[in-house]
Formats: sequence, C-alpha cells, structure tokens
Amino acid sequence: MMAQRFSFAILMMLSAILLILGRAQPQMVEGLRSHAIDIVAPVVDGIHRPILAVSNAADDLVHYFTLRSENEQLRAANAQMKEWQNAVASLQKENRELRGLLHFKTEPGLAYISARVIADTGGAFARGLIVTAGRQDGVREGMAATTGDGLIGTVTEVGEWSSRIVLITDLNSRIPVTISGSGDRAIVSGDNSPTPRLKFLPQDAVLSPGAVVVTSGHGGIFPPNLPVGNVVDHGHGQYSLIPAADLARLNYVRLVDFNLRGGAFNPVASRVSAEAHGRKN
Amino acid sequence: MTDGLWLWLDHKMRRAAPVVTVILSVIIGVLPWPLPYFGVVAPQLALTALYYWTLHRPDLFPASAAFAAGFLNDVLTGLPLGLSAFLYVGMRQVILVQRRFFAGHSFFMLWAGQALAVIGGMVMEWILLSLVRGQGGPFGLIALQILLTILVFPLPCWLMIWLQRMLLAVEV
Repeated sequence: MMAQRFSFAILMMLSAILLILGRAQPQMVEGLRSHAIDIVAPVVDGIHRPILAVSNAADDLVHYFTLRSENEQLRAANAQMKEWQNAVASLQKENRELRGLLHFKTEPGLAYISARVIADTGGAFARGLIVTAGRQDGVREGMAATTGDGLIGTVTEVGEWSSRIVLITDLNSRIPVTISGSGDRAIVSGDNSPTPRLKFLPQDAVLSPGAVVVTSGHGGIFPPNLPVGNVVDHGHGQYSLIPAADLARLNYVRLVDFNLRGGAFNPVASRVSAEAHGRKN
Repeated sequence: MTDGLWLWLDHKMRRAAPVVTVILSVIIGVLPWPLPYFGVVAPQLALTALYYWTLHRPDLFPASAAFAAGFLNDVLTGLPLGLSAFLYVGMRQVILVQRRFFAGHSFFMLWAGQALAVIGGMVMEWILLSLVRGQGGPFGLIALQILLTILVFPLPCWLMIWLQRMLLAVEV
C-alpha cells in the first residue's frame, strides 16, 4: 500500500516535470516526442494496414457499381483537359519568351514528398496527423502539407521515418492567407472545429461567401497561391473557412518543399504584425 | 522444460491483458477511420479501459502502466507531453479509492461510475490544457466526445468482461 502511494506520487511528479519541461525547454521535449513517434509508428502502421485494406476494398466495391457513369464523366473531363493542355502549352511558350525579354529570375520549383497517413490524432483537443515520411525522406520542419485539393497543414515534428502534421483546423494553427479577388489579407486560425476562422481581416473587408482563400506566402513558410478553402459568412463581419481539402478522409498527403529558408512561421509575430496594420479580429 | 516455459509465457501474457487493452485503446483512438469527422468526436476508449481494469484488476494495471499509456497518448495525439500521463495516473488513483463503491454492483452502477470518470477526466484534461496552452478548445466538441464515450460503454465493457473471463478467470 505504501509502495503504491509512493509510485503514485513519483509518477505524478514525473508527469508534472514533463509538462513544465515542455514549456521551459520545448525543443528538448519535442525531440523526445519525435524519437518516441519513430518507435511507435511501425506498431500503429501495422494495426492500421488491415483497416486501410478493408476501407479500400469497400471503396473498390462502390466504384465497381458506379463504373459506367464514372467512365463517362472521365471521358468528358479528359476532352476538356486536352483543350486546356493546348492552351497551357501556348501560354507557357509565350511566358518563356516574355520572361526572356525581361531577364526575369525564375523561382525554384516545388519539390513534393508523398507520405501515407497512419494516425489521425484527432479528438476534441488537437487536430493532427502522423505520416510515414521523415528526415531520411527529406522532410523538414515547417513544410506545407497538401493534397491535390489544397493546403491541409504544417509539418511540426520530424523523426527519422515519421513526421507529425498539425492540421489547419488545430487550435494552434495560424496560416497567413489572401482572399482571391479582393486581395484582402487574413490569418486562418484553427479552433479544433472543422471550419477554422478568418481573423485579422482589414476593418472594411466584405467577403463574398464561397470566395477562394489561398496562402499569401507571407511569413516565408508556405508557397503563395496554395488553395486553402472557401469563405463562409457568419454575419457581423465574422468569417470562417471550409477547407479545400477533405480533412475527414486523408490517406495520403504531399509535403511541399519550396526551397525557402525563412524558418518556422511565428503565429504570435504575425498576430502582432496584423494588429499593427490596423486589422480587426 | 519446454512445457514449463510455455506455461510461464501463457501466464505472463494473460496477466498482461489489462495493460495491452489500455495501450491498444490508445492506439485505436488515433487510427484514421474511414468515417467523416469521426476522429473529432471518437469515443475515448482508453479512459473506459483504464476505468474498467482499475476497478476489476488494479493489481494487473499498476500506476506505471497508467503513466505509460498516458505518455503514449501524448506522443500520438500531440498533446503536451505529461498531460495525459498526469491525468491517467491521477484518474487511476481516484477510481482506486472509489473502487468498493462501483465494483461488484449492478451493470448500471458500473456505467454510472464510468460516466463520472469520463466526465471528470475529460473536464480535467480541458482545464489542464487551458492552463498549459492558454486555451482548451471549444467545449461543445468535448461535451459531444464525453457523451459518445458514455453511450458506447456497453460494447467495450462487454469485450473486457469477456477478456477477463477468458484470460484471467483461471489465472492465480
């Protein structure tokens, strides 16, 4: 009984020390977490694989019954794509010639790293993912995580073979964005709900519902013009955003390295900067 | 000699059932299920498993196991390291103190105890997170998660009763 009470007290103290260390020495504790994720990731992956296999089989079955209509849709889309391809080729040629005339310095291209999602670290307290790509695959802290539809989050911890992504819906996520059309700048601020809020908009900003929101590229962490989502108007100048990517169904993600070395985006600094520019919350 | 080794291994594996159940519940809680937004409000099975085994076999689910499960939860979910560990060890101790009140009575008494443990645990987690990070998140989602964790209790409870009968009934 005495030993039980002693171990209880010791373990409570150890937990409290970890919590305090996490505040005082975040890098040390995050390093410990990255190593721990590397150790646990293969176990989680092993448990996840059969679930993924069953889910894929169910998807295949559904696709089998909709094959005919899907085929017709794809043929139509393919014909449209061919028209676009011709237009793009012509515009690319024109663009190259104009850049040559202006001696325009070309920006480095984007490099993508594909990774499989093995854990959706959801719950009401945090929104994130663990993926099967790490330092050995070239992943770095601060990389943008995307799907074909748009931005989903930021890489925050990198282990040797695995990484953690904080989703744009997480309470701690802050993404600098621009509203397409109006050009207004804002911060997409996660609140753990499926629709993050748009904060620090200019005082006189009036956004149209459905307007496309893209990354602004400010803060030096994301490439500009990555689609983030569409505006939802709640009235009284309050706006939120429906993410462009379906965050509820993420099996694979692409991590984007756009060769900037601006360091991690500092949400606090951005907030201060936004306030200094007379934006509203 | 070989029989002795197998018997010893069998004995150890059976006794590990409570710890394995809680650890598996933590891992299952972070798997990406093919259900839209299920992850946001997925039942906290780990809290249910922790409650059940602390009530019924505290000797096989020591404080160190609660700490390990909490630490694993923090690692996987991205919560501040030590938060779930603190909570799980604390919850185990509170449940242990109230053990005589909830264990060995009717199923509904067991369910009521789980409801109290889950409400207390998750509200405490929200308070701790608010203290550590300055914000705990929208309480509506947490309330929904609490409700789902309480509503699905019969299923994991039935599984753990079955495990206890199958693996630990003959165990000495």
